[in-house]
Amino acid sequence: MVRLPRFFAKKRGDRRTGAAIWGSVGEAVFHLILVGAGLVFGGLLISGVAVPEWRINHDFLESRGTVIAAGVARLSPRGEPGREPRSRWQPFLKLRYATHQGVEESWAVAGSPSSERPAARQQLDGLRAGVELPCWYDPAAPREVVLRRGYNWWMWALTLLLPSALVAFGGAGLARAAAGWGKSEERMAAGRGLGDSLADGPVVAHDLPGVPSCDDLVNSPGTVLPFRLPTDSPESWTLLGFGLFAGLWNIVLVVLAINAGLDLLGGQTDRLLLAVLVPFAAVGITGIVVFTRALVVATAVGTTQLEISAHPLRPGGQYEVLLGQGGSGALEELEMTLELEERATYRQGTDTRTERLVVWRQVLGKWERLQVAAGTRCEVRATLQIPATGMHSFVSEHNSVGWRVVVQGRPSRWPRFRRSFPVVVFPPLVDAAAEQPPTGKGNR
Amino acid sequence: MSRGPEFSASTPSVAVHFSRVDRRYEPLERIDVRYVVETGGAVVRGMERSVLWYTEGKGEEDIGVHFFERMTDRATAAAATGTFGCVLPRSPLSYEGVIVKIRWCVRVRLFFVGGRDFISEHVFDLGAVPAARLPSPG
Repeated sequence: MVRLPRFFAKKRGDRRTGAAIWGSVGEAVFHLILVGAGLVFGGLLISGVAVPEWRINHDFLESRGTVIAAGVARLSPRGEPGREPRSRWQPFLKLRYATHQGVEESWAVAGSPSSERPAARQQLDGLRAGVELPCWYDPAAPREVVLRRGYNWWMWALTLLLPSALVAFGGAGLARAAAGWGKSEERMAAGRGLGDSLADGPVVAHDLPGVPSCDDLVNSPGTVLPFRLPTDSPESWTLLGFGLFAGLWNIVLVVLAINAGLDLLGGQTDRLLLAVLVPFAAVGITGIVVFTRALVVATAVGTTQLEISAHPLRPGGQYEVLLGQGGSGALEELEMTLELEERATYRQGTDTRTERLVVWRQVLGKWERLQVAAGTRCEVRATLQIPATGMHSFVSEHNSVGWRVVVQGRPSRWPRFRRSFPVVVFPPLVDAAAEQPPTGKGNR
Repeated sequence: MSRGPEFSASTPSVAVHFSRVDRRYEPLERIDVRYVVETGGAVVRGMERSVLWYTEGKGEEDIGVHFFERMTDRATAAAATGTFGCVLPRSPLSYEGVIVKIRWCVRVRLFFVGGRDFISEHVFDLGAVPAARLPSPG
């Protein structure tokens, strides 16, 4: 009996059947369509824009033309039903010029199109009958004549950029499909390096697959304890976001305001632009206020420094932690916790989303009514213990399990703040003498 | 021993015996596996045997292959039984999180003439990290 291959994998319990090759075929077809679209689009642009321009600059023959007439032609696009089409006016000159086949008379474009007829006519000022001009004609069709040569680089860039992007994207997809053709996911992953399948992903610790490297966490010595931990504060990113938003929004606002101002100076009033400017200005001012407030809060609360007695950490290990809080004024409350957070990144439609969840938390210390003198820092100590059966830090391309120390404070005059300091927990130490390399030798 | 629920003559099946009955291994410990293949009459043209970890849960699946062996010789691939093994790495340990889970498994993949393939996957534990539970609010 002939059995057709299955298009989709079928999973039952711990086993699956299917034909992975159909997935590769689908991927290859999709990317082939992109490459084809890029080539067709590119071909149309090249034949319609690039080739005529190139021929004008290379094939057209030079001559001297005498102006015998001038005029503007209306270029009328098809208007919407019930609405007058917005015409554009194109200046033309009728030339008499000598060709290799004799004397020809023909119209040539003599400037750029304009939405105002007087402006189009203005381009023809001084080009009266009898004026002589250099011109270039097509030797294959002598009635085709131009008054200007050169390249429109923007058009060339567009001609090359858009189709090239399609061809590059499709080609890369095709190459990827070809590289994975008929290969299982294990074979693909093994191809990236046995035991080190994350070679292209996050940086992992030596000899510890899936465990993040802590090189960036141990290169800053502390003042009292050996290591000062870098902060991973979301407040800094929020501040940066507020700053960028306020800056960009107000740049747009200034450009619009200058336009409106120039219109007013020229005696014109664009009511729509003025109506748009009012809410734009309100959002811009609010953006500046929010950013300034966040900046003041961030600087007034002062820096938070965390030092630790050893790094990386191990399950079951006890570590001394020193918390230094700068700034000035009173702190109603200061709390330090140890947290284990899971992070999962997934695609939902065209969006990429990341979900975070704290699955373990322990309070390391809680202090109340602390006074920070200006120019000094308030120091408190605590002991941090990783549970003996606790999970080590883990990172892969889309998932991670991470430990961090979180400091939360409530200043007397400012809103609450929260700053986190990631730490890396390595797996428990085992007898290294028993270690042997994997023995698998595939004929890949 | 691990085997699929439907072990009939027409359905391929792979039964796997682990060197540890409870399938719990420690980092740097050696894992040995013996398997029995029933192809259900289909002609095998290749086989892949691997020891790997993968993530499960809310995020996209990530995979890390620790041991991989591919057999394209039909006679070897079509053998009804076989063994393989390796020394397990120090990490990542098996983890039963809330939105992130890490599973270790032995995977045997059979490639049949005609383009179909069949995967048999057998999970085991590396390390003894207890399952995560959400902390009580407050």
